[in-house]
Amino acid sequence: MRILLADDAVLLREGLVRLLTEQGHEVVAVVGDGPSLVSSALSLRPDVSIVDIRMPPTHTDEGLRAAATIRQAWPGAPILLLSQYVEVSYADDLLADRRGAVGYLLKDRVADIAEFSDALHRVAAGGTVLDPEVVAQLLVRRRVRDPLAALTPREREVLALMAEGRSNTAIARTLVITEGAVEKHVANIFAKLSLPPDEDTNRRVLAVLTFLRS
Amino acid sequence: MTPIADPTVAVAPRRRWLVQLGVDSAYVLVGLPLGGIAGLLILAGLTGAAILMPLLLLGVPVLVGTAYLARGLAEAERARLAPVLRRPRVGVYYRPAPPDAKALRRLLTPFTEVQYWLDILHAMVRGPVSLVTGGTVLTWWLVTLGGLTYALWEWAVPLDPADPPGLIVVNNVPLVEVFGLPNTFANRVLVVTAIGAAFAVTLPFVVRLCALLEAWLAHGLLNGVAGLRDQVALLARDRDAAQAQTAAAVSAEATALRRLERDIHDGPQQRLVRIAVDLGRARQQLASDPEAATRTVDEALAQTREALDELRTLSRGIAPPILTDRGLAAAVAALAARATVPIDVDIPADLPRLTPVAEQTAYFTIAEALTNVAKHSGATRAAVVVSLPDDRLVATVTDDGRGGAHVAKGHGLAGLTDRLQAAGGELWISSPPGGPTSVRAEIPHPLADGTDREGGAAATHRPGPPA
Repeated sequence: MRILLADDAVLLREGLVRLLTEQGHEVVAVVGDGPSLVSSALSLRPDVSIVDIRMPPTHTDEGLRAAATIRQAWPGAPILLLSQYVEVSYADDLLADRRGAVGYLLKDRVADIAEFSDALHRVAAGGTVLDPEVVAQLLVRRRVRDPLAALTPREREVLALMAEGRSNTAIARTLVITEGAVEKHVANIFAKLSLPPDEDTNRRVLAVLTFLRS
Repeated sequence: MTPIADPTVAVAPRRRWLVQLGVDSAYVLVGLPLGGIAGLLILAGLTGAAILMPLLLLGVPVLVGTAYLARGLAEAERARLAPVLRRPRVGVYYRPAPPDAKALRRLLTPFTEVQYWLDILHAMVRGPVSLVTGGTVLTWWLVTLGGLTYALWEWAVPLDPADPPGLIVVNNVPLVEVFGLPNTFANRVLVVTAIGAAFAVTLPFVVRLCALLEAWLAHGLLNGVAGLRDQVALLARDRDAAQAQTAAAVSAEATALRRLERDIHDGPQQRLVRIAVDLGRARQQLASDPEAATRTVDEALAQTREALDELRTLSRGIAPPILTDRGLAAAVAALAARATVPIDVDIPADLPRLTPVAEQTAYFTIAEALTNVAKHSGATRAAVVVSLPDDRLVATVTDDGRGGAHVAKGHGLAGLTDRLQAAGGELWISSPPGGPTSVRAEIPHPLADGTDREGGAAATHRPGPPA
C-alpha cells in the first residue's frame, strides 16, 4: 500500500517507516505537522494516512483537525490516527461524517505488528477501527436502567469487538468460536438492544457506536 | 491579587438636583438644632468632668460617659453623611478593650482610642459651623419662598400712612424706590418676587455648598482615621492572602513533585529496567534456545505496554491532554466516562475556555473527588455540577455514599485545599457520617481576558469541532 506518515516525533517516525517498509508497504511521504499533512494527503492521495494526533503548530489535536480538513476536500479519505491517549470525544469527532475508512488507535498497538497491519488494511478498505480502550470507555458509561445489563458476558465481548470494527470472521477468530456462533450472538445483541440488523460491517459499527454513545 | 477597594470612591449615581436639594437642606437644617444640642451636651459633660476631676473617682466616669455620648452622636452623624456625600456609610471600628482586661482598663478604653477624642472634637466644633451654614440655608429658603409668594401675602403688609408704603425699607426708602420704580402694588410685587427668584436660582448651589462644608468637616473628623485604618487593614489582608496563596502553591507543587517522583520510580522506571533485563536474556537465548527467546521478547513487549499505560496515567495526572485541547467540559465528561459509578454531569454547554489555572484546579478537584467517591464513599451515584456565576467558577461533586470524608483523613482531599488556595480559591467539604458527601470548589477570575492568556492558545484557535 502507498502510505503517508505524519508524526513530529522523529524516533517513532523512523521506526514506523522501517516497520512499514519491511511489511512491503511504500511510504510515499513523511510529514511532521498539520498543514503539510493536509497538502501532501490531497496531492499524493495515499491508500491510507497514518497520523499522530498531537503535532505542530498547536501541539494539541492538530492531527485530528487536519484529518477533518482532508476528509472535507476528499470525502472518505482513509486515515488511521495514532495517539498516546485515546478519548471518546476525539473518536466522536472522527466518526462524525459516518463515512468509514477511519481508525483511532493507541500508539503502542503498533507493537503488535499483525494487529496493526490488519487495522491498516481495514481502514484502507473503508472500514472503521476503534481502539479497545475507547470501546472500554464507551462500555463503562453506565445508565440508570442499563440495557447492556441484559447481555451475557459473551455477548458483551462480541459487542466490544463489533464496536472496535471487527468483522464476524475476525470476531470468531479472536474468541475461538465458529462464525455461526458469532452470527447468533450478533442477532441476540441486536434484538436485546432493539437495533435494526445490518449485514454491512461499517454500518453495523456505526449503529453500535451510536447506541453506545447515546 | 484582589484590587484594593478604595473607600473614597463615590458609588451612588448623580442624583437629580431636586432630590439632592431636599437631602442637603434636611441635612443642614436638622443639623442646626442637633449641632447645638450636641455641643451643649458635650460641653456640659466636659465641664462636669473638669469640675468633678478633683474627686477623681467621679470625674473619670463622667468623662467616659461623655466620650460614649460623643460616639453615639458621631454614629448618627455618619448615617446622615452618606446621602449628602453620595457614598456608602463608613463603618468605624472602635478598638475594644483587650479580652483579658481588668474592669478599670475596660472603663478607660475610650481614652486610648483616638476616635473618641475626634468625636468629642467634632461635637464641639459642629455647633458654630452649623450656626453659619444652617443660618444661611434657612435665610435662603425663607427669602426664596417668601419672595416667590409675595403676591399672595402683600395685602397683609400694613400700609401705615406714617411710614412710606411697602414692607421692605432700605434707609427709610421703600425698596421699590431704591430700584427707581413708582411705589405701586405691581412694582412692589415685581421687585420682591424678582429677589425671591434670584434666591431660588442660587438656592441649590448655596444649600449644596453649606451641606458639603458641614459634611466634609464631619467626614474628615469622624471617618478620616477609620478610612486610613481600613486601607491599612485591606492592604494587610491582601498581603496575608497573597502570602498564604504563595505558600499553598509551593506546598502543593512540592507535594505533587514528590508524588510524581515516587510514581515514576515505582512504575515506568522499574518496568524499563525489567525490559532491559529481558532483552539481554533474549539476546543470550537467541543462539541456544530461540523458542525461549521468543517467549522472553513477548514478556518484554507486555512490559512495554504496561510501562506506556503507567506513563499515560502519570501524564493525565500532570496535565490531561483532553483538558488542554478541549477544555473543562470535555475533560470532565471523559472523567465521568471512566468512573466506576454512574456520574451525572451538569456543565453549561456554552462554557467558555478558562484560564489554565482555573481549568486545571477545577479538573483536579473533580478528579480527586471522584477518586474519593470510588475509593471510600461506597456511593452508587455521584453528580458533578459546574457553573460560572459572576466572576467565579464553582464546581460541586456530590455522592450518595456513607460520608465521613475529611481533609485530614488522608483522602487526598488535603492536597486539594492547597491546590485551591494556590489558585486563590476555596474548598468546602460537607460529609456528615452517613452521608451524603459534597465537595465544592470556588475559583475566582476563571475567564481568560486577553492579557492573561499564557498557555491559553488552545482557547482561540478552535472555532468548533471538525465537521
